[in-house]
Amino acid sequence: MIRFSNVSKTYDNGTEALKNVDLEIADGEFVFVVGSSGAGKSTLIKLLLREEIPSSGTIEVNGYTVNRLKRRQIPVFRRSLGVVFQDFRLIPTMNVYDNVAFALRVTNVSTRDIRRRVPYILSLVGLASKARCKMNELSGGEQQRVALARALVNNPKLIIADEPTGNIDPELSYEIVDLLNEINKVGTTVVMVTHEHDLVAQFNHRVITIDNGSVVRDDADWGQR
Amino acid sequence: MKGSSFTYLIKEGARNIWVNRMMSLASIGILVSCMLLIGSAILLSINLNGMISYVENQNEMVAFLEDDADDTMVSEVKAALDKNSNIDSFSFVSREEALERYSEIVPESLLENLEQDKDEVFPLSFRITLKDLSLINETTAQIESIPGVMQVNAPTNVAETVTGIKRAVYLCGSGIVIILLAVTLIIIANTIKVTVFNRRKEINIMKFVGATDLFIRMPFVVEGILLGVISACMAYLLLWGGYTYLMGHVQAQASTALSAFLKNMVPFSKVAKQLLASFAVGGVAVGVFGSMIFVRKHLRV
Ligand SMILES: Nc1ncnc2c1ncn2[C@@H]1O[C@H](COP(=O)(O)OP(=O)(O)OP(=O)(O)O)[C@@H](O)[C@H]1O
Ligand SMILES: [Mg+2]
Repeated sequence: MIRFSNVSKTYDNGTEALKNVDLEIADGEFVFVVGSSGAGKSTLIKLLLREEIPSSGTIEVNGYTVNRLKRRQIPVFRRSLGVVFQDFRLIPTMNVYDNVAFALRVTNVSTRDIRRRVPYILSLVGLASKARCKMNELSGGEQQRVALARALVNNPKLIIADEPTGNIDPELSYEIVDLLNEINKVGTTVVMVTHEHDLVAQFNHRVITIDNGSVVRDDADWGQR
Repeated sequence: MKGSSFTYLIKEGARNIWVNRMMSLASIGILVSCMLLIGSAILLSINLNGMISYVENQNEMVAFLEDDADDTMVSEVKAALDKNSNIDSFSFVSREEALERYSEIVPESLLENLEQDKDEVFPLSFRITLKDLSLINETTAQIESIPGVMQVNAPTNVAETVTGIKRAVYLCGSGIVIILLAVTLIIIANTIKVTVFNRRKEINIMKFVGATDLFIRMPFVVEGILLGVISACMAYLLLWGGYTYLMGHVQAQASTALSAFLKNMVPFSKVAKQLLASFAVGGVAVGVFGSMIFVRKHLRV
């Protein structure tokens, strides 16, 4: 579960990116976060990931009070969720398999578990046949699926995606969101930031609209607008 | 930490070196050059020191005994010389030996004009070499105070000059090595900074998948250790080859005047162990601390 209680974020330069945000996302939900450029969507995600600390208010995620985490607790907290970014953030010198296994290797998972888990996740995102490919041999959509596989590989309860389709063709975007949809069906909570309204309209999910740092709309699905 | 993690960290460190091989080569090149410069400076000062010691050893002082010295007195003086800690070696010179030496440098005719018995002219003496020439005045006084010693002839001027040169060599040598060390540290620090900067994305990804800071640092540390050790070995081998070649070359060519000095060049094997050890320790320390410091900056995500 995610809960924002009266959260505000003012950056060091004085920009008020979020103002008194109250928000609750239940386990198992699929939520789109939309809004114009500069509205504060990425700030919301950064607060969720503890990349930034709120100026005031409380943030609870997966049972952790994120704004009060100690430095050494952050890694453990982050293992309870999976993240996907617009720019993929894959390691170009590693192949598909290693990019996914990487997330397990750096978190002390045994080699046996890695060998079992990675092929399974790769087949889940439809990349089993590309396991040995390098990043520059893949399309944007495929690269984002590698990133998604990496986010999923440690079996997180929550997937957070900041404009995961921002850098890929519209036809391939649908595939990515559909994949997230499938993951959500088996119980994983999904929070996805996007500003592609067409894409949001193709799925019946809750839509939170942010404007100028505040939640201005919260619709059960796009059709209600 | 599990065994699998340990092998992962080692593998990852080695992989990083290979993947960033241009950067690794550059780092090794820089490290090796710096080590070569420092090593050469050290070898040069060691050799200068060796040559000065050679000069020192050529400088004997002579302690003449009283004319009426008998065998008991000689052995008493001997015992006293044995006790003196600054005396490197000494040898007893009998009247006959003194005469023999003297006649080598003085024409026979001069000796024949001596009124006294030839065998009685020269007093008994000890030829003495010192360990530390800078203490020559103190040691001379000590020897003069031994009962039975009449007079001590000591090359005080030479001693002062040699001591001065020795101090200058020491100061210059340490100065050059310190400057080289400082320059090395600056260059290496920048190299590591660039290496880490090139991989900031990787560090960022690790942070987001929940790697601990220690785990993120370790491959960099392993990489630092490996590069340090590789560079140390290369610098050592190059210095070894270069020095041995130079030594052979110089000693073969040297004119007779110089050859006495050059024969005294310190063989590489004498300094090899210390040199390799300090290269390895220095290289590894620089690699480890450098990566610790510069990775830290990128861990704040
Ligand atoms: N690190 C930062 N320091 C200062 N100001 C920032 C920082 N990051 C974001 N901002 C400002 O905060 C506001 C919200 O930024 P944010 O990145 O959350 O917007 P966004 O909704 O994600 O926009 P986009 O759709 O363009 O990605 C903007 O005015 C932005 O300039
Ligand atoms: Mg954004």
